[in-house]
Parts: sequence; structure tokens; C-alpha cells
Amino acid sequence: MSAIVEIRGVEKRFGAIRALGPVNLSLQPGERLGLIGPNGSGKTTLINCLSGLFAANAGTIVFEGRDITQEPAHVRARMGIARSFQIPRPFTGMSVIENLLVPMDYLPIEAGAREGRAMEILSSVGLAGRRDAPAEALSQLELRKLELARALVIEPKVLVADEAMAGLSEGEINDVLALLMRLNERGVAIIMIEHIMHAVMRFSQRVVCLETGRIIAEGLPQAVAQDKHVQKVYFGERAGR
Amino acid sequence: MVFLDLALNALASGIALGCIYALVALGLAITFGLLHIPNVAHPALVIAGAYAVVLANMRGIDPILAALVLTLPFYAVGLAFYEFYARAFERRGRGNTLQSLTLFFGVSLIVEIALVVAFGTDLRSVSVPYVGRSFELGLIVLPYRFLVPALLAPAVILGLWLYMTRTHSGLAMRAVAHDERALSISGHDPVAIKRHAFGLATALAVLAGAALVIVGPVDPFAGRVHLGRVFAVVVLAGLGSIPGTLAAAIIIGVAEAFVTAFLSPSWAPGVAFAILLGTLALRPNGIFGTAR
Repeated sequence: MSAIVEIRGVEKRFGAIRALGPVNLSLQPGERLGLIGPNGSGKTTLINCLSGLFAANAGTIVFEGRDITQEPAHVRARMGIARSFQIPRPFTGMSVIENLLVPMDYLPIEAGAREGRAMEILSSVGLAGRRDAPAEALSQLELRKLELARALVIEPKVLVADEAMAGLSEGEINDVLALLMRLNERGVAIIMIEHIMHAVMRFSQRVVCLETGRIIAEGLPQAVAQDKHVQKVYFGERAGR
Repeated sequence: MVFLDLALNALASGIALGCIYALVALGLAITFGLLHIPNVAHPALVIAGAYAVVLANMRGIDPILAALVLTLPFYAVGLAFYEFYARAFERRGRGNTLQSLTLFFGVSLIVEIALVVAFGTDLRSVSVPYVGRSFELGLIVLPYRFLVPALLAPAVILGLWLYMTRTHSGLAMRAVAHDERALSISGHDPVAIKRHAFGLATALAVLAGAALVIVGPVDPFAGRVHLGRVFAVVVLAGLGSIPGTLAAAIIIGVAEAFVTAFLSPSWAPGVAFAILLGTLALRPNGIFGTAR
């Protein structure tokens, strides 16, 4: 099976600081990949390069066989790369449902069917009851659900969930995990960036650990968790999580 | 009786004045309120619009009709100008406020000078059949040259509000105001949306120009007296709020009319800022603004 995403030698520098790379990483269609690493290790930078918010300084990114390194973020989104943000970024001043209608402009959905489609997605994340609430009135959990819902509207082939579960209770974490699993069953490849170790270990088929912008371990969740280097840089400073 | 007479007429002319201020501020509510571009050239563009309307009126065309037709070329000018602005400033990461402010200040001067070169510094006006006649209702006497352009404002604002709330590009425009990155990962090109919004704002300038030139004659520098006030209206409304722009402009218009009638006309220009400062102390996001 050929990879849906190929990241080849990607680097990102901010001035003299190399925040990322070079990184080589591939994602299979329908795969569940966990991306771990301490704060500042380059996880979000890597995702920003993949989603097009940052232009990589070197390397290429291939999506479904097409080189997208030079494509702007909105083109990549239309091709099927969706993401949520670590800190939810709803469109404030709009209702929950309007937040979902924003990305629908270019989808081949008839105008009359859009609200219905948006409601389906809201129901699937458990926000149907909040359709007309202003985005700024949502709780932290609801904001994270809205963030995921908005990513789902574009009917992605790849979804990056950037710390979608941070700050949530155990029950809420299970809700989000179940939601991501359902999506994955429909064939969406998911990259999960997460500090909540048991969640990422349970969810992922493969785990990649970054440190100071480079991949230091890659493999089955258990194997990565037991890797000495990973334990030193990651679990060492996060014992008990 | 004299008091009631004065008060009623101040209220009526204040509302009419406020509607006209709202028209002038509307473009800025988009460029400054939604796109965060400090477009100090907007009043100068409004006056350029007024001159375009004067030219059409010399051929016997009604000013409002002329302005409606002229929105198309003004929209195109807005698109072209935003493209230049985006390439020269924003895409190179230099779209900081001070540089933009300097650019738009320069644009404002260029527009004024171009108008002087083309038309001289004389006052220009339009001829419409209703100038010189007044609408009378009881004690209220309101000249049609105020009433007609004032009625244009609610119509334009209603249209714009429907556009912003009911259409996809309107929705995207409101979204770009809040988060460009979130918009781009939703599959929209933020630059294209901002370009369209800037074009729309420039098209609104010609409608406002028609309103101003019906109210009274204009010279190339007539935009300057509006500059401070339109920013006050936009900030008072709550950045980017379209119905708020009308409400804020009417509040300022009525206050100015009352100050003119009961205190002294010299104080009137300061009224907008007095209201603005008072409001911002209580509501930092403006009357209709939402927290970001």
C-alpha cells in the first residue's frame, strides 16, 4: 500500500534555531499514528509544515502522490488534510453551526443540504444541542469538540488532532477517543499529538517520538514506550501522567 | 414650545446625519473592523466617489443611480489596490500597523491631489430636483437633501448585513476577521477573501460619496472632516459590526445635532470622541462588539 502522506527531509528554521528536522515520516491510508515528544520537540511545527501554515525550509511533502510542498494551506485543506488546533480557535462572533458552515463553501454539497450535513457532524461530536450558541459561550470540552467538528466538515482523508484531549476529564477523553476511532473506521488516517500517554498508547497503531526536532524512536506503541531514550527524554520528566 | 421645536428638529436631523455618517463609515467597518487594515484613505475615496458621481450627474444621471453603477469600477479598483497592498506588505510579513498607516495616509494625499489636479479646488455639487425642498411633519422640517441620502443608509446596511449573515462569502469574511489560519485550514484562501472584502469596502465608498454630495457641495479635501469621526463610529460600534455601525453613527449624529442646537456648533466635532471615550471605558469592545 502506498503512503498517503510522505514527509521527506523536512526542516523548519526560525532564524538561527532549527525547530524541526530533517524529518522523514510516512503515513499509510487509514493509519492511526501517535506523535509524542516533550514540549518544544517540534510536534506542532511538523504539523504546521504538513498543513501548510509554515513553509518548510527544506524537504518535500507528498500527499497522495502529489508534491504539495509549495501549496498554501487552503489548497491542502481542500485536498483532504484537516487539523485541529492545540488551543481551540473558533470563529468568535458566530454561532456553532455557522462555524461549521464556513468550510462548506467549496464542498460539492447543495446549498439546501449544508445545514443538515453540519448538524450530522455536530451530532456525531455531541454538540447538536448547542447549534445556535455563540462560539465564545462554549466550555473547554465543547470548544475542543467544535474544533474537531470543524476539521471533519472538509471530509478529510488525513486528520491531525493536536492535543485534542488536553485538560479533559477521563470520561471526556474516552468520548473523544471513541469519536476518533469511529472516524478512523470510516477510513480517515489520524495523526494524534498527545501528552496523555495512556490515550495515545491505546489509540495508536504506530508511535513516533520527536525530540529537539528529530525522530528518536518509531514503532509499535509498547516498543516506543520501552525505548530507553524515549523514557529518558519523555517519561523521565513526565512521570505519573 | 421653542425648546420642543428645537429638540425634535435636532433629533430628526441628528438621525439623518447619523445615517449619512454610517454610510461613510461602512467601508471602514469592513477594512478596519474586519480586515484590521487602518485604511485612513477611506474618506478620501468617498470624496473620489463623490466626484465620480458629480461627473455622471453633469450628464444628467441621478446621483444615487450613478453611484450604484459606479460601485462596479470602484470594486475593481479596490481589488487591484488590495492585491498591491498584499504583495507589497502582508505577504512579506511587513503588514504592521504603522507601515500600513503611512501607506494609506499617502494614498489619501494622492487621491486628494489627483482630484485637485483634475477638478481644481472649487466646490462641486450635483443637481437633483429635490434640493431646496423640505419634508414637513408637524414641527419637524427636514430638507430632502438630508432625507434622501439618509434613507440610502438603512437600505445599504440591510443589504450588507444580509450578505454577511446569509451568504458563504459573507460568512468567510466574518471568519477572516477572527482567525486567518483557522480559515485557511478550512479550505478558504484568506487573501482572496480579504481582496473581495476590500473591493466591497471601496465600492461602498462611492455610495457614501453620492450621499455626501447630495447633502452639500464637496471639495477635494472634504474627506478630512470625516476621518476622525468615521474611526470613532467603527470603534464605538464594535469592530466589524454592521448593524452596530448604523447605531453608533446615529448616536453620534444625534449627539452632535443636540450639541449644535443647545450648546454651540463649535463643540460638535468633539462629541464623537467624548462618546467614544466614555463608551470604551465601560465597554472596551464597543457597543456591539464581541470579545475576541
